[in-house]
Amino acid sequence: MNRPEPDEELMLMVREGTGEMLGVLFDRYQTRLYSFYTKLTGDRAASEDLVQDVFLRILKYRRSYRPGTPFRPWIYQIARNARHDYAVKQRPHQDLETGAEMAAAPGVSHEANHQHELLHRALGALSEEKREILLLSRFQGLRCDEMARIYGCQVGTMKVRIHRALEELREAFRRLESGSTAPSKRAAGARNEL
Amino acid sequence: MNCEQIAALMPDYLENALGRDQERLVEQHIESCAECRQLAALGRNLALLPQEEPSPALRERFQGVLASFDDGRLEQLAFAPEPVRRGAWAMGWFRSPLAAVGATAALLVLGFLGGRYSTTQTNAQAQQQVASMENELTSMRQLMVLSMLQEESASERLQGVSWSTRQQQADPQILAALLRTLRYDSSVDVRLAALDALGRYGNHPQVRQGLAEALASQQSPLVQVQLIDTLVQLRDRSVVDELRKIQQNSDVDPAVRERAERAISQLS
Repeated sequence: MNRPEPDEELMLMVREGTGEMLGVLFDRYQTRLYSFYTKLTGDRAASEDLVQDVFLRILKYRRSYRPGTPFRPWIYQIARNARHDYAVKQRPHQDLETGAEMAAAPGVSHEANHQHELLHRALGALSEEKREILLLSRFQGLRCDEMARIYGCQVGTMKVRIHRALEELREAFRRLESGSTAPSKRAAGARNEL
Repeated sequence: MNCEQIAALMPDYLENALGRDQERLVEQHIESCAECRQLAALGRNLALLPQEEPSPALRERFQGVLASFDDGRLEQLAFAPEPVRRGAWAMGWFRSPLAAVGATAALLVLGFLGGRYSTTQTNAQAQQQVASMENELTSMRQLMVLSMLQEESASERLQGVSWSTRQQQADPQILAALLRTLRYDSSVDVRLAALDALGRYGNHPQVRQGLAEALASQQSPLVQVQLIDTLVQLRDRSVVDELRKIQQNSDVDPAVRERAERAISQLS
C-alpha cells in the first residue's frame, strides 16, 4: 500500500489549484477540528460552521501557504483566527455551556464519564485562552514547538504557558470535586437514565 | 528536584518527549508529590477525552464549496469583495460585452461633460451635471445586473449577483430581482450567492419580508440552512412560526430541522 501523502504535499497541490486534495485534508481534520471547537465553545452547530469556515479560509488564503511550512500549526492558526472572528461577531449572546451541554460518550463506563464530565466542567471554568492552550496541546496533541509557532513565542515560554494552564485546570478541578460532587453525580445519573 | 524544576519538564513529559534520564527524574518526583501527580494525571486525561463526530451534513456542505471552487466560481464570488482584488474585478468588468457597452457610454458622457466644463461653465452647473452623470451610471449598472440575472448560464447569473453587491445603495428593483433569484433560480449556487448579497441589505423591509417568504418555499437544505442563519443574524422574530413548521416537518432534512430548532431558541 502507498504511504499516505503528507499534509504539506497535499496543501501544496491545493495551493496550485487542485481543490480536490483539500477533500483529503478535510477528511483528516474535520473530526479533530470539530472536537476542538465543541470543547472550546460548547456549541455543536457553531462548531460545524467554524470547521466549514476553516476550509473556506484555506481555499481563500491558499497562496499564502509557503512550501516548507508545517501544516498542522498552520491550520490551527487559521482555526484560531476563525474562532476569534466568530466570537467578535457573536459576543452579545454567546456563553459557554459546559457540563450540561457535553453529552456522555457512549461505551464509556459511568465512572470514566463522571471524570470526563468533571474535566469538561473544569475546562469550562478556565478563561478561553487557557482552555484553548490545553485543548490544542493536550487534546489535539500539538507539540510544544508547534504550539510556539501558533502563538508566536519561544518554545520555553510556551512550556510555561502550558504548565500554568494545567495548574489552573487542577485548581478548577479540585473546586468542582470538593464543592459539587453530590449534585453533579446526581446530574450524571439523571442523564444516564434518559 | 523541586516542583518548579519539574514544571519546566512537564509539557515534554506529557508528550513523551523527554530522554530516559529526565523522564525518570519526573517520575520519581511525581511519586512523592501529590500536586504534580494530579497535574500530570489531568494532562494525560485531557488527551483521553472523546472525540466528537460532526454530522454528515458538514461533509456535504464542504463538497458544495469544493464544486464551486473547481468551477472557478467561488473565486469570482467569495473573493471579489476583497479590497486588494479591486483591480482584478475591474478587468473582469470590462471583459463582458455588456459592460463594454456601458463603459463606452460612460466615456461618451464624460467626454461630453469634459468638453463643456473646459469652456464656459459655472461650478454649480458642473456639479449638477456630474450628479446626473453619476445617476446615469448607476442606472446603467443596475440595468446590467438585471439583465445578467436573466442570463442562461449559471456563472453569468452568479456574476450578476456578485456585481449587484457593488451598489452602495439598495435599489428596490435590484433587491426584487435578487429575491426572485433566491426563490426561483435553478442553481443552488446562484441562490446561495443571492442570499449572501441580500444579507447585506438585511435592514431593508423589502428584503426582510422576501427572506421570510423564501423560507417557506426553499427545498435545498444548503439554502435552507443559510437562510435560517441569515434570519437569525437579522434577529427577525417574525419567522419563528415558519421555523417551527420546518422543525416539525419530518420530510425536511434533519440538519435543517436541527438548525431551525436552534434558531427558534436563539430568536425567542
